[in-house]
Amino acid sequence: MTDVRSYIFDRLVRGVFYLLNLVAFYLLWRGHNLPGGGFIAGLASAISLILRSLALGVEAMPRILRMDPMRLAAGGLGLATGTGLGAMVAGRPFLEHFHLHVHGLPWFGEVHLGTPFLFDVGVYLIVVGVVSKMLFVFMQSTRGLRALVEEEERRYSSPLEQPLEESARAANREDDRHAP
Amino acid sequence: MHLVTLPLVVPLCTALLLLFWGRPSRGRRAMATASAVGQLVVALGLGIRTYDEGPWVLPVGNWAAPFGIVLVADLLSAVMIVLGSWTALMAIVYGSAELSVRVEHPLRLPLMQFLVAGINLSFLTGDLFNLFVAFEVMLIASYALLTLEADDWDIKQGFPYVAVNLAGSTLFLCGAGLAYRLFGTLNFADMAQRVAGMADDPRVVSLALLFLAVFGLKAGLFPLYYWLPNSYPILPAPVAALYAGMLTKVGVYVLLRIFGTVLPHELSGVHALLAWLAGATMLLGVVGALSRNFVRGILSYHILSQVGFMMLAIGFFTEFAFAASIFYIIHHIVVKSSLFLIGGTAALLNRTDNLDRMGNLWRHAPGLGVAFLFQALSLAGLPPLSGFWGKFAIAMEGLRLGEYVLVGISLVASILTLLSMLKIWNGAFWNAAEDREVCLWDWRWVRMNRVNLAMVAVSLGIGLGAEGVFQVATRAAQQVRDRDGYAAAVFAVRAKGVDVR
Repeated sequence: MTDVRSYIFDRLVRGVFYLLNLVAFYLLWRGHNLPGGGFIAGLASAISLILRSLALGVEAMPRILRMDPMRLAAGGLGLATGTGLGAMVAGRPFLEHFHLHVHGLPWFGEVHLGTPFLFDVGVYLIVVGVVSKMLFVFMQSTRGLRALVEEEERRYSSPLEQPLEESARAANREDDRHAP
Repeated sequence: MHLVTLPLVVPLCTALLLLFWGRPSRGRRAMATASAVGQLVVALGLGIRTYDEGPWVLPVGNWAAPFGIVLVADLLSAVMIVLGSWTALMAIVYGSAELSVRVEHPLRLPLMQFLVAGINLSFLTGDLFNLFVAFEVMLIASYALLTLEADDWDIKQGFPYVAVNLAGSTLFLCGAGLAYRLFGTLNFADMAQRVAGMADDPRVVSLALLFLAVFGLKAGLFPLYYWLPNSYPILPAPVAALYAGMLTKVGVYVLLRIFGTVLPHELSGVHALLAWLAGATMLLGVVGALSRNFVRGILSYHILSQVGFMMLAIGFFTEFAFAASIFYIIHHIVVKSSLFLIGGTAALLNRTDNLDRMGNLWRHAPGLGVAFLFQALSLAGLPPLSGFWGKFAIAMEGLRLGEYVLVGISLVASILTLLSMLKIWNGAFWNAAEDREVCLWDWRWVRMNRVNLAMVAVSLGIGLGAEGVFQVATRAAQQVRDRDGYAAAVFAVRAKGVDVR
């Protein structure tokens, strides 16, 4: 991972990005009754984002994502919980799911719709959010960037904290001073 | 019926709201506090209903018992949830008194709510694998919370906590696999029915031993307690109170549930082993406490010693002993978390919790001293405080069963507990050396001490109203040990899949 951008790599990744997300959507859609589902689709989408960050540099990612990955994950958890709460509001047990089977639609033919799909979308968002947040923070720290951008600072850290490396460095200096 | 899911759903939704409302503010705190009050009300409602009507079952996703996961609330679960909600509420109120909004860590409240959701799910679930999931939710939140506000030096102490608990989770999965191989089900009620008459089967005995190791590790049973006494002192006081009150007690609760409801009652060899391990735990825990020289360290070792008392009662395995164990849990959660809060206030006033440098607190802050005195004597077991009744019941049952050595150990442990409490009393409160400064100008301690006094009031209530509390504990013990009643309640629920059962 160098700071020199490769035009070929960038174009290639852009193509793969859309392809991977198409695969992810396919995995998400066929979930429930066939192998696939929100978790694996989320991993595929997260990989596409990581490829993008390798090509463009991790500092460009907030511009592409346009939102904090943690909020994406929290929104996903909210959606998944919401499908369970919906059943409760309707007087049914928590997390009961409902299905709708539609025949003879033009173009699509037979379509199976159900609230488990919404739950899966929630799982998908959680996985995308958590994986990309973790890896972006790691990438930022290996490249010597700050882990949190300024607007995130008060949402994820306390003013009493200081970055680990800095306090460790301060402690080392302290030790040096006491050394004979 | 929906009341059963609320202790899980409300903290989860609160945590999400807190994550979206990222910046700490007074309104955010007020919302967290209001949600904690709501959780307490829900838990009390659950307690009243289960006291009158017995176990309450909710089939999650409307799938019937052996196929789907069920949430089961019986009186013991409800009592544990009440205590958990109360401790969490006090931790939040104390935390807001201790830290101004400006320096509050924004992730502390959401992580605490995730922790509470995990704890509540492990009290409610009626399925072994779902219990594993609940443990993971709880543990992952606790890993994050443990290291959230720790500095470089302290973060090192979190390592044994994470490593040992990861190993415990792996063992738990092995146990679940063994159980599934044996019974073909992981539903508690279904397992309870299939295990009947298999008490002599060596596979059931080894499963019981595996569970003893896994949940003993979570509860801090000898010789698996290494992770606890060094990791808890690195937590800030209100979070430490929640950990000290609830986390090890989840392990004790699961042991009550597994040995009382799921496994056959004839496993007397395993029960005897549990009792002896408990004896070793209470003695070594209190000796460890005596060896420490700072308040949080002493209190952390005490958790182990106290867990020993509860485990000893489980090991005696009579209905009265179970009731005594549950009474002891009720007493312990309130007193122990309260002592951590009091320790935090004392450390704020003296600017240290090293007993060599503390002092003068009794002269300058008698309100704090009174709170400490009540809780410390209750922990040591002086009548008529709450700790006395729990220890009295356990010792009486031990004498009735002829376990003189174990009762002797428990009495020695109680006296040593008193000694170590006196160590804190002499060092921090009674010590009148002139050079020990008490920062009374730091007005935060007044509000913090109000929380301490509220906890003292509850623990005094438990001690003076011991008759009523013991009645609740007895009813809870009856429900936990009623294997057929539990299974009947779970299988009586009508849901999808009943007809193919």
